[in-house]
Amino acid sequence: MSQAPVLELRGIDKSFGPVQVLHDVAFSVYPGEVTALVGDNGAGKSTLVKCIGGIHPMDSGEYFFEGEKVHVSGPRDAAAMGVEIVYQDLALCDNLDIVQNMFLGRERTSGLVLDEDTMEEMAAKTLAGLSVRTVKSLRQHVSSLSGGQRQTVAIAKAVLWNSKVVILDEPTAALGVAQTAQVLELVRRLADNGLAVVLISHNMNDVFAVSDRIAALYLGRMAAQVKTSEVTHSQIVELITAGRSGELGLPTGNGASA
Amino acid sequence: MLRAGPSQEEIRRHNLGTLLRHVHLGGPTSRAELTNRMGLNRSTIMALTADLTAAGLVREELPRDTGRAGRPSLVVRPESGRFYVLAFDVGVDRLVAARIGLGGVILDRREAATSRGSFDMTEVVETLAGFTRQMQRKVRPDTVCVGAAAALCGAVRKSDGVVRFAPNIGLEDAPFGEALSGKLALGLPVAVGNDANLGALAEHTRGLGVGCRDLVYLHGDVGIGGGIIVNNQLLGGVSGYGGEVGHTVVNPDGRLCGCGSRGCLEAEVGERALLEHAGRSARGERGRDGIRAVVEAADKGDIIAQDALHRVGDWLGFGVANLVNIFNPEVVIFGGTLREIYLGSAAQVRSRLNTCTLAAFRESLRLRTSALVDDATIVGAAELAFAQVLADPLEVLARIAT
Repeated sequence: MSQAPVLELRGIDKSFGPVQVLHDVAFSVYPGEVTALVGDNGAGKSTLVKCIGGIHPMDSGEYFFEGEKVHVSGPRDAAAMGVEIVYQDLALCDNLDIVQNMFLGRERTSGLVLDEDTMEEMAAKTLAGLSVRTVKSLRQHVSSLSGGQRQTVAIAKAVLWNSKVVILDEPTAALGVAQTAQVLELVRRLADNGLAVVLISHNMNDVFAVSDRIAALYLGRMAAQVKTSEVTHSQIVELITAGRSGELGLPTGNGASA
Repeated sequence: MLRAGPSQEEIRRHNLGTLLRHVHLGGPTSRAELTNRMGLNRSTIMALTADLTAAGLVREELPRDTGRAGRPSLVVRPESGRFYVLAFDVGVDRLVAARIGLGGVILDRREAATSRGSFDMTEVVETLAGFTRQMQRKVRPDTVCVGAAAALCGAVRKSDGVVRFAPNIGLEDAPFGEALSGKLALGLPVAVGNDANLGALAEHTRGLGVGCRDLVYLHGDVGIGGGIIVNNQLLGGVSGYGGEVGHTVVNPDGRLCGCGSRGCLEAEVGERALLEHAGRSARGERGRDGIRAVVEAADKGDIIAQDALHRVGDWLGFGVANLVNIFNPEVVIFGGTLREIYLGSAAQVRSRLNTCTLAAFRESLRLRTSALVDDATIVGAAELAFAQVLADPLEVLARIAT
């Protein structure tokens, strides 16, 4: 468990105009583990994730991937390293089928034509590897899928590219209980298969059910990054709402004044 | 009397069983791979597979495409269509019968919901035998049934399969295996096991616990059952009742339990506790759907449902903490309705666990929901039914043939 992080950020600052959103944030993600990223609305979770994914350039700070310092200047750089992000809107096209969605923008070709057979086979293999049994046909349009199935397709799309880090932005929001259970189990399976998974969630049960570590952001600062086996629910709630809990958390009670 | 080492015949029998088990659990396996895994030489593997092939238990094929240079090693494949067992699951709300082929393939299954409160063993046995007849009708004539076993939510005596105590279905000292075996009239004994014990076995052989030496499986139905695997062996105790964690006391002043005691894990975490706390038991909601409804309501912000899950999760955390402190397992698996309960109250379960267990015990502990979900108990029953043929394949076939 205590191996080196696959992705590590140090001293990240990020401002949008006069508003500083991230202050000196450090964040580590480990292979085979689910790291839950929690924080109140506006704490900087999405901004941090977008910095990792290369969508927002960081103002300062260091980005290490597999121990090497890297420079990520766009989403393609992040994807090339093996960092995939599944956003809340899932970015799926309703009018395309599952295979087309999974290869969208990265289609396989053989000569001049699309290599449909290979793509379908790869998609099937990926879904089977994730023990996904809920999808009937790979040639089904995404519009006909349920919320949980869409989430599954979006996650499978992220895993298809031999990715090493998969970041999931609130994958269980807006899902019913049965589908939430399936998605949580899928999240867990990704990590058990060796991937590093980052799970953004507001639901403490989801966080405690599947995570190995919890990183709590408070007003743009990393209040604490702890092992899930070492904290309680109330400590995490305190870290989210006050930035501190006993020995844990930011040195001053109010991180904003520093 | 002192014995010399095992005879050659015993070694051969043991090896045949081991090889068949590898193929049964691992699926189609190349001879080269079997040579590696069993640590035997190639000619021995060849002789063993020849024996099993002659008996019809396995067949050998050329692999499709190895992508490697050289002559490909033959793949040994279990004859799932020809050899099967009958597996039964007797739960509070459902009866399941399945025909499961060698290799663990579910070939056919029948399921019926049961009404609570009017459990009658003769009726249940009748239903299961009826299911079996339906399934047998569709079977090809060259197929062979090599065993039968049932999972049941109660304490089962190891020596004779008598159900000693099953408060949730109202059985006491009931010779269930004998009754079912008589009704099936296939000339096969029906082994009986506790459902959570068999769930543990299933997770250990085919689910999340593959490769785990130490695991705890917790099964939620109306009650809470447990199966504990220590050093790859199911913990049975002297009479086979081991692992009955549902009746460990977590709250001495707690709710009355069906067993007569107070504050058992089952009384605090079981279905009745959750539905009563949520104020839903009077509405006639129950079973898995009842529990799902509570979790769903809590998720949507229903404060009473949230509080009910909170309380139940807290007690579950105590129960799991005790098990972790005693057995130091690698993984704790939540199955049956505990899957929903754990996912809906994980914050409480883990907070309690993190304060009540020793830090060193948690370092390598994993908490997971069942990989086999609703099939865990029936798959476990099938493994119990296969046990004999895997221990001594040729002898069992010879016995059935006569």
